[in-house]
Amino acid sequence: MTATAPAREAAPAVVVHRVTFGRVLRGEWIKFRTLRSTVWTVVITAVVMVGLALMMAAIVRTMVDTPEMAEGMSQDPGLQAIGLTGTTIVSFGYSFGALAIGVLATLIVTSEYSTGTVRSTFAAVPRRLPVLWAKLVVIVLTTAVVVAVALAIAYVVTAPMLDAAGLSVDLSDGEQVRALVGCVLYLATVAAFALAVGTLMRHSAGAIFTIVAIFFVVPLIFNIVVQATDAAWTDWVNKLLPSVAGERIISRGIETDTLLDPWVGYAVLVGYTVVLLVAAAITLKRRDA
Amino acid sequence: MIEAHGLTKRYGPQLAVDDVTFTVRPGTVTGFLGPNGAGKSTTMRMIMGLDRPTAGRVTVNGSPYAQHARPLAEVGALLEAKAVHPGRTARQHLQALAATHGIAPARVDEVVELTGLTAVARKRVGGFSLGMGQRLGIAVALLGDPRTLILDEPVNGLDPEGVLWVRNLARFLASEGRTVFLSSHLMSEVALTADHVIVIGRGRILADMPVQQLVDGASRHVVRVRSPQATDLAHALRREGGDVAPADDGALEVTGVEAARVGELAAAGGVVLHELTPVSSTLEEAYLELTADAVEYQTESLDAPATDGAPR
Repeated sequence: MTATAPAREAAPAVVVHRVTFGRVLRGEWIKFRTLRSTVWTVVITAVVMVGLALMMAAIVRTMVDTPEMAEGMSQDPGLQAIGLTGTTIVSFGYSFGALAIGVLATLIVTSEYSTGTVRSTFAAVPRRLPVLWAKLVVIVLTTAVVVAVALAIAYVVTAPMLDAAGLSVDLSDGEQVRALVGCVLYLATVAAFALAVGTLMRHSAGAIFTIVAIFFVVPLIFNIVVQATDAAWTDWVNKLLPSVAGERIISRGIETDTLLDPWVGYAVLVGYTVVLLVAAAITLKRRDA
Repeated sequence: MIEAHGLTKRYGPQLAVDDVTFTVRPGTVTGFLGPNGAGKSTTMRMIMGLDRPTAGRVTVNGSPYAQHARPLAEVGALLEAKAVHPGRTARQHLQALAATHGIAPARVDEVVELTGLTAVARKRVGGFSLGMGQRLGIAVALLGDPRTLILDEPVNGLDPEGVLWVRNLARFLASEGRTVFLSSHLMSEVALTADHVIVIGRGRILADMPVQQLVDGASRHVVRVRSPQATDLAHALRREGGDVAPADDGALEVTGVEAARVGELAAAGGVVLHELTPVSSTLEEAYLELTADAVEYQTESLDAPATDGAPR
């Protein structure tokens, strides 16, 4: 390095285009794919989801091979009665997926604040909101693609075992297709929900804690509370929890009045997500970066 | 061109920037000088639209920064070193920013080379030294070939050769007709680099003048004088309109009266002199004096509401 830098400046004028959403999206995609931690989280999520499906399929297969168990399964109430079907097994890893994707979606915003990258980002896109929407598109589409691929692989690799166990996934059955598509929708929506929480809270630890509490701890507590009391309000709170409501889309519709219908439940989760995204957009626009 | 009008930023009870009005003109290097915590960074962040002013407005090249269609072509900013995710490489960081303006990869290579980062461009930023981080920040600022550059403490962490490079770069960019606004807490740095200087202390503009004028103003003369009849001499000097302050070692420091005149007055009054030394104050002293005044002023203004009994 010598102090002769200015000599180079005679180069032709630099072409600089207008900032458009497409360009912001490309920038966010570059940021997303250039972090090793991001790429690894996505890959591990897919691998673990496939692995859990395989594990469950193997267990069911073993149960079928064990005469006493096979008898129990074919009798009423068999596995179908507790909602265990082929789709349940194929999408068995969705809970783990929600945790991994939730943390990832939170971090793609909060890490910008913790590292200071957000200042560079907003200097380039001072209108700010395109950045939020671009991050939303990146994380939701990535999640949808990765989960869809993971489910497809899980479907293929578990098929022989599930066939043997009499729990084949039937893609001509609308309910089963809904459960599988629902798994993709649910995780993509959890990603959007977590992105909004990350944008609102800005601190990694706090935002991740919040996501884990909302999706994993509170439902666990309410699961116990609902069974312990007869109070009607606990049923209502429970069925309206983001995870409990949203997960209905993945379930095989066991009719129950303590839980919402699949699409209604999913709509409730989408509703929360939209509200949080609007709040995130407003605060992002107003607060100092 | 940067124009600030009545720019104010309040963080809770703390007034970080207090009703600041100034213009930074193209074709010159304007230094933004003030002690740490004076409000330099906050002002620069408001120019960039990162902080929302409590009151007032600021425009860059005629419009608020956020309203430009090609922000990076208007302003290139270095606001803090290493505002980069440590897991990305320098090149990836630049590419992500370039993508938002459709800037060609060739330009990324160009600024990498220009800032001397070629050897480390594909290394992750986490391992960068402060100086390398600073160079990357300057590369980011230059990316969109901007008409205005805002550099917050650009020489921080640079080696002497890097300091010289930044100095030359700033002067060259200004010579091309660009607006260059750079902050520093070092008077000497600003004196060497800038044509014009805006001094800020406790959130207020203390001086806004050509550097040369500040330098001239700084070379005001102090006369050190020592005498066994200090009291008589002080009286005579004060009658002459001089300002007399006792120094630590018992000497008097006289301002406003030339050394020769001090000698004449002493002779006329029959005062014995043990020492008579003209002293030029340095630029740093002038600067410290300016900012010290700001501290005193601020204390007064904080006291004011209490004496007024104004409702809070």
